[in-house]
Amino acid sequence: MSLLKDLFFYQGNKWWKIPETTELSKNPKNEHPFGGFMEKSKNILLILSSGKGHAGPIYYWIIAAILGIITMIEVWWFGIKELRYMLVPAMLIFSILKFALVVAFFMHLRFDHKMFSTIFITCMVVGILFFSVFLLLSAFHGLGT
Amino acid sequence: MSSIAKPKQFQLPRIFPRPKSHKGLWYWLATVDHKKIGTMYGLVAFFWFLVGGIEALLIRLQLGQAESSILSPEVYNQMFTMHGTTMVFLVVMPLSAAFFNWIVPLQIGARDVAFPRLNALSLWVFIFGTILMNISWFVGGAPNGGWFGYPPNSSLGFNPGNGITYWVMGLNILGVASIAAGLNFIVTIINMRAPGMHMMKMPVFTWMTLITSVLIVLALPILAVAGIQLTADRIYGTNFFNSEAGGDPIFWQHIFWLFGHPEVYILILPAMGIVSEVLPTFSRKPLFGYTAIVFAGIVIGFMGWFVWSHHMFTVGLGPAANTAFTITTMLIAIPTGVKIFNWISTLWGGSIKLNTSMLFSIGFIAMFTIGGLSGVTHAASPSDAQQQDTYYIVAHFHYVLFGGSIFAIFSGIYYWWPKFTGWLLDEKLGKINFVLMFIGFNLQFGPMHWLGLNGMPRRIYTYTEDMGWEDSNLAATLGGLIIAISVLVFLGNIILSKRKKQNSGGDPWDARTLEWSIASPPPHYNFVQIPKVKHIDDWWYRKYPELLEGNNQNIKKQKIEVEDSSNVDESKIHMPDLSYYPLIIGVGLTIAALGVMYTYALVTIGLIMVFWGSIGWSTEPVNEDSKEHH
Amino acid sequence: MSTNVTIHHGEEINNSTGVSHKKLLMWTFLGSDVMFFGTFIATFMAYRNKSLNGPYPEDTLNIPITSVSTFVLLMSSLGIVLALHYLKEAKMGLAKFWLLLVIIMGIIFIGFQIYEFSHFAHMGMTPQVNLFGSTFFTLTSLHGAHVSLGILWLIFLLINEHRGNLNSGNAIDLEIAGLYWHFVDIVWIVIFALLYLITANDGVPPGSIPWIGGH
Ligand code: HEM
Ligand SMILES: [Cu+2]
Repeated sequence: MSLLKDLFFYQGNKWWKIPETTELSKNPKNEHPFGGFMEKSKNILLILSSGKGHAGPIYYWIIAAILGIITMIEVWWFGIKELRYMLVPAMLIFSILKFALVVAFFMHLRFDHKMFSTIFITCMVVGILFFSVFLLLSAFHGLGT
Repeated sequence: MSSIAKPKQFQLPRIFPRPKSHKGLWYWLATVDHKKIGTMYGLVAFFWFLVGGIEALLIRLQLGQAESSILSPEVYNQMFTMHGTTMVFLVVMPLSAAFFNWIVPLQIGARDVAFPRLNALSLWVFIFGTILMNISWFVGGAPNGGWFGYPPNSSLGFNPGNGITYWVMGLNILGVASIAAGLNFIVTIINMRAPGMHMMKMPVFTWMTLITSVLIVLALPILAVAGIQLTADRIYGTNFFNSEAGGDPIFWQHIFWLFGHPEVYILILPAMGIVSEVLPTFSRKPLFGYTAIVFAGIVIGFMGWFVWSHHMFTVGLGPAANTAFTITTMLIAIPTGVKIFNWISTLWGGSIKLNTSMLFSIGFIAMFTIGGLSGVTHAASPSDAQQQDTYYIVAHFHYVLFGGSIFAIFSGIYYWWPKFTGWLLDEKLGKINFVLMFIGFNLQFGPMHWLGLNGMPRRIYTYTEDMGWEDSNLAATLGGLIIAISVLVFLGNIILSKRKKQNSGGDPWDARTLEWSIASPPPHYNFVQIPKVKHIDDWWYRKYPELLEGNNQNIKKQKIEVEDSSNVDESKIHMPDLSYYPLIIGVGLTIAALGVMYTYALVTIGLIMVFWGSIGWSTEPVNEDSKEHH
Repeated sequence: MSTNVTIHHGEEINNSTGVSHKKLLMWTFLGSDVMFFGTFIATFMAYRNKSLNGPYPEDTLNIPITSVSTFVLLMSSLGIVLALHYLKEAKMGLAKFWLLLVIIMGIIFIGFQIYEFSHFAHMGMTPQVNLFGSTFFTLTSLHGAHVSLGILWLIFLLINEHRGNLNSGNAIDLEIAGLYWHFVDIVWIVIFALLYLITANDGVPPGSIPWIGGH
């Protein structure tokens, strides 16, 4: 419920999330990973980072390491005959995971102005829905005839 | 952006000096002013409107009687292909873009668009794209595959020569222009609203521009991909639509209509925006259901993505798919209907002033409703099996595109003309223009409904006498001639009114939105002071503050004048300077596209120009005095 | 009206959401590019397993080699966030070092792609030969075009950085280039999963281990 409210109501009464215009507003202080709404992971990340409230590079290294490991798992999975029957779902899940990590952390979407997430996620959703329908149509051409 | 002093700022050495003077040819070639760019969009698009109209007249003359031979079958194919392509991509889209350019920054209280040079780039790429596409007439025949270019009819085997390739390259170039413009307007509208102008206080035209831009940005890449695939098939011998290698021509239909249906909303949403500005102004009443209209626009923008297969009801997708798309297509008529009812309710009880602009808007409502209704009839896939590829479809889309978009665009022209120029168009001639166009339009496209239901197929170059289609076709041809006369009346109106130059003042219609709060034509920086917005239709409520207190008896108009910009100190004005790099990139892209068809030498030259333009662009300061950088 | 207003056109003057125009432009453009690549990927998937004649994916794709280039591209994403990070902290030496490294990694990636393409051509897989070839080559070469454009852009930025025109004050210029670069990277993540790993497994007879590949 609160999620719905958050999605569709801005400041309680506006369904559109682009904020009220303010005169001469400065860029938000969101350039580091601890801005915004990430209260919960804040503490964990504080330990990982240099602790100044600015993300240390170590933080990016960790994400990169995770990405690298997932890639290795992908390739390893591909090489194991017995796992092949699960290949398609596994690869999809892994690539979505990597995709999300890069977008959320390297591209700062997680910490940036919500509007960017709205834009990008809208495009992704429209695109994915759209092309899924297209693929379904081409896979089931003539269904029911 | 930063106030840190920039050491030894690199600038690409200039071959030509940066133009400074605000006069002459150089100014028009290098301008980055959104109003000038809008004007050029309008003029070029209107030129193509005349060309496309002539093509239409030739088609109509050919079809006026049975078995006539004014056009050969080959030329007929080229004619209807280029007519459709021209009207969609070279006329309605850029005319809408002309309005976006002129009106949106004024409506949101901005000094220009967010990226003035990108805007100029869109313009030049567009202009050269139109030229590129039409070169094909002179080098071996224009494209002849219809505006939808279905393979295998458009594949090399069945369609040798360069016509189709010109069509694809032209569309891709135009696509670059549209996407650049779309991105620009999204950023402009989201980021450059005047203080206080919340999204839900934006004028509806601006809203529709935003939705249209989103659709452009998402839909045009799909057309680009289709184009790349078809070009690759034709030039490099790939197999996308080559059934010998297992390729599936149906995929082209999917991809094209994946783009194509959002495209028809790209064509109609700006028109809906224009009408939503004109109706309240001349009913002297707020727009009925602002939120509903905006919301319906968004819903249309979203649902428009999931209906494309209604263009493919007869290709054998199967009952399951056809049923699904019948349902989605019928659903999309709901938000469209919401809008129509809102417009009618806006008129209801208003003190209506029936001038030309208003007449065109009311004509829009009526004609668009007819077109929408015939749309719903072929949304039902069983009934569409009878109608697909007949003149019934032609009637449908002309009622929505001509009766819809073009009527609304004329309404917009009459409405905003005084803002563009500072003088009024003649009302009497304007009304003649409307009446002739209205009669001609219905005479031309009305009979097509029953022609189609009687079985007359689209895209045939002639028919025999015993089909019984002659009378209706003759009527349609007469209608076409009447439309042509009405367009001539419009041109005459411009010329005569220009001679009279009846001064309009800044706010001739006692209108509602911010663009009327400044002088006509606006100074190049638009607003002396960026307005602070409190309400929807802010300018209206500044003039009639009593209305806000719920008092609508005996209201008095406040004496407020439009902004006076006559004694502004021009030396304190820092607007973006002129730049010719957009022009260079535009030329370069076009040359490269030509080269794809002929020789890689041209591609290289073109890309070098693009490179040169981009480096020059990114190293020149936006404004030489303030050294502001973009 | 007063005569002493200074009239400016610029971000800092007129900005209703507080985010930079450029960044908004880049995100919107990426949304648009999603549709561009989406259509190509959808076509590829729709034509998957539909080639009438060989060479088939399992004969041609060489997963170990592509894994290396994939890894390089992934790590270049790390490089560019670090370059941005140090640029913002005004540690110019490190910033330039990482940017240079990213450029080199991009070039390595393109090198791998060129090698791969010529290798495929050598094995008789060309865009003309079957549906797999057509869809594979258009998608990967357009991705390669995106990477190459990115490399040119980064080189331009590196030169600017070296001359002192790009500094912590206008780090946004590197930031949007970074967004573009990351996007190209995530497209490759999807391509690697769909065009390589999944496709290379298509139609493999049970019992063989084709990922050694490459004959
Ligand atoms: C009420 C909403 C609408 C519905 C239900 C609707 C439905 C349809 C359907 C089912 C077709 C395919 C007919 C066939 O080929 O057999 C069609 C064609 C078409 N519609 Fe609409 N439509 C609607 C609104 C619009 C609007 C607003 C526009 C443009 C401004 C438009 C433009 C077109 C065009 C251009 C075609 C023909 C494409 C071609 O085959 O060349 N329609 N419409
Ligand atoms: Cu449609």
